[in-house]
Amino acid sequence: MKTQKILAWIAIAIGVIYFFVPLIGTFEFSLRMRRGEYSVDAYQSVFSDMQFRETFGFSMVMALLTIIFGMLLVVPTAYWVRLRLPQIRPVIEFITLLPLVIPAIVIVFGYLRLYNSSSWLPFTGSTSGTNALLVLSYITLSLPYMYRAVDTAMRAIDVRTLTEAAEILGAKWPTIMLRCIFPNVMSGVLSGAFITFAIVMGEFTMAALLNRPAFGPYLQLVGANKAYEPAALAVIAFAITWFSMGLLQLVSRFSKMAPSRP
Amino acid sequence: MSFLALDNIKKSFGQTQVVKDFNMSIEKGEFVSFLGPSGCGKTTVLRMIAGFESPSDGTISINGKNQNRLKTNQRNIGMVFQAYALFPNMTVFDNVAFGLKVAGKPKEEIETRVKEMLALIRLDHLADRYPYQMSGGQQQRVALARALAPKPQVLLLDEPLSALDAKIRVSLREEIRQIQRQLGITTVFVTHDQEEALSISDRIVVMNAGRAEQIGTPSEIYNRPNTRFVASFVGTLNIIEATVVDPSANTVKVGDNTVRLREPVGALKVGDKISIALRPEAGSLSESAKGDTAIVGNVISSHFLGSVIRTKMDVGGNQISFDMFNAPDAVLPQPGEVLTLRFSSGDFLIVRD
Repeated sequence: MKTQKILAWIAIAIGVIYFFVPLIGTFEFSLRMRRGEYSVDAYQSVFSDMQFRETFGFSMVMALLTIIFGMLLVVPTAYWVRLRLPQIRPVIEFITLLPLVIPAIVIVFGYLRLYNSSSWLPFTGSTSGTNALLVLSYITLSLPYMYRAVDTAMRAIDVRTLTEAAEILGAKWPTIMLRCIFPNVMSGVLSGAFITFAIVMGEFTMAALLNRPAFGPYLQLVGANKAYEPAALAVIAFAITWFSMGLLQLVSRFSKMAPSRP
Repeated sequence: MSFLALDNIKKSFGQTQVVKDFNMSIEKGEFVSFLGPSGCGKTTVLRMIAGFESPSDGTISINGKNQNRLKTNQRNIGMVFQAYALFPNMTVFDNVAFGLKVAGKPKEEIETRVKEMLALIRLDHLADRYPYQMSGGQQQRVALARALAPKPQVLLLDEPLSALDAKIRVSLREEIRQIQRQLGITTVFVTHDQEEALSISDRIVVMNAGRAEQIGTPSEIYNRPNTRFVASFVGTLNIIEATVVDPSANTVKVGDNTVRLREPVGALKVGDKISIALRPEAGSLSESAKGDTAIVGNVISSHFLGSVIRTKMDVGGNQISFDMFNAPDAVLPQPGEVLTLRFSSGDFLIVRD
């Protein structure tokens, strides 16, 4: 029993060292820009860089649009599948899992072939069109996480009975969706939103190949040309992801909308 | 004219017909229970009244108005679900107010009506609570208040008590009945619990395999079941296989005992087999018992059930159970003991399939 405990602690220690040592090393390195002393010069350099602000802002906007349009697609789909078409559930699950199996580079090449400027739907023919295509591709990438988060939240609330209860009280579809279903799957929606945010902020392939000024390609550019700033950016990227995860935990912990069930 | 009328209702899911030619007329203010085993079609009929399912054939009308073409949200019906179905994101007040808000009622009217409903279910002090902060019984009372708040024409109760524990179930069913009487609302109650149906209904519809086997008052259903199914489903019943001895005298033989039936055996001949039923509470061992008939049998087993002692005895291959009230000095009949069970010939029911 004691040996088992020691072995478990050794395994945990190895895991912690494997994960945290590079991170601490990166953080420590990011503070060494000024010779002979620790400083936050690398962070100042990053934050004062105009390109950082532009790419960060661009990715933020893309992330928000992805979350809004992704949810408009996912929430009604998950609702409808649960309520009326449970038999096509495996098909929807398969489709939403595809982005995990198909590499992003394959998806984006497919998009470029389908939606290039000489195609019948020339998304890449204009900047706004390419931005729209980028949002759509981000929605595709985040589908596995978004769909599952929303679907799990719906599973917890017996969507069918709640819909029927609202319907018999005289409610029509928009009221049912906005006042009875959406608020009750909010924890799932927010979980999906935070994961999507983290994915979009760090995404490289789609943005680089569609030639959009996003944060992912900027990280790569800085990494190739500077010494200390990439380390600072890596720490910032981790902070964003952890912040998103922290919010996700907070949302699920403080969600008071426990299901009403026998 | 009846208030809620179901005429020749049929419902099929694919090749399976789950409701077959269902007819029922319910008067205004009446409390009717649909009683039957799982899968008998009772919930399907209720869901058709609510508008969640549409009948394959037949018409549903309320107050003379055909409901078939109306959507659920146009029918003005209240419903209480087995799983409570309170909106988890809303407080008790908001849950009860939901139907009134959807109907676009003025704020003052909503407030007055919600308070009135919460007072009716005696939960006015919990108006700010969320459903997850309440017990099952309290949640179901809120669900009842929510269903009644918009003043529906008909109240549907879909096994509302089955998720609750035994004591709450009894008190809540009495409360439901009292509120129903107070408001005079036409109510359809679905249950598979015969005691529930017998205790609170004006009339009971016993359903089996998509059909209404018998419609009647609780007393009629219990004391004069029309079919073998109704007889065996409602209450505990001994089904005894007997042989006709004399059709003109209505006498039959059970084991070595010849007993007279009050009900005519009909066109049966001497030696024909006949099934007769006897409730366990009909018989008595007391010699002073009021009864014109007796059968003798051997005790198989005897069980103490609290308020009663149930004894099983063998009479010519038939196992007959009978109940005796418990008394402090009661002695349990022992296996092998020979007993004479006395009862009235009117207690025997001829069972028709």
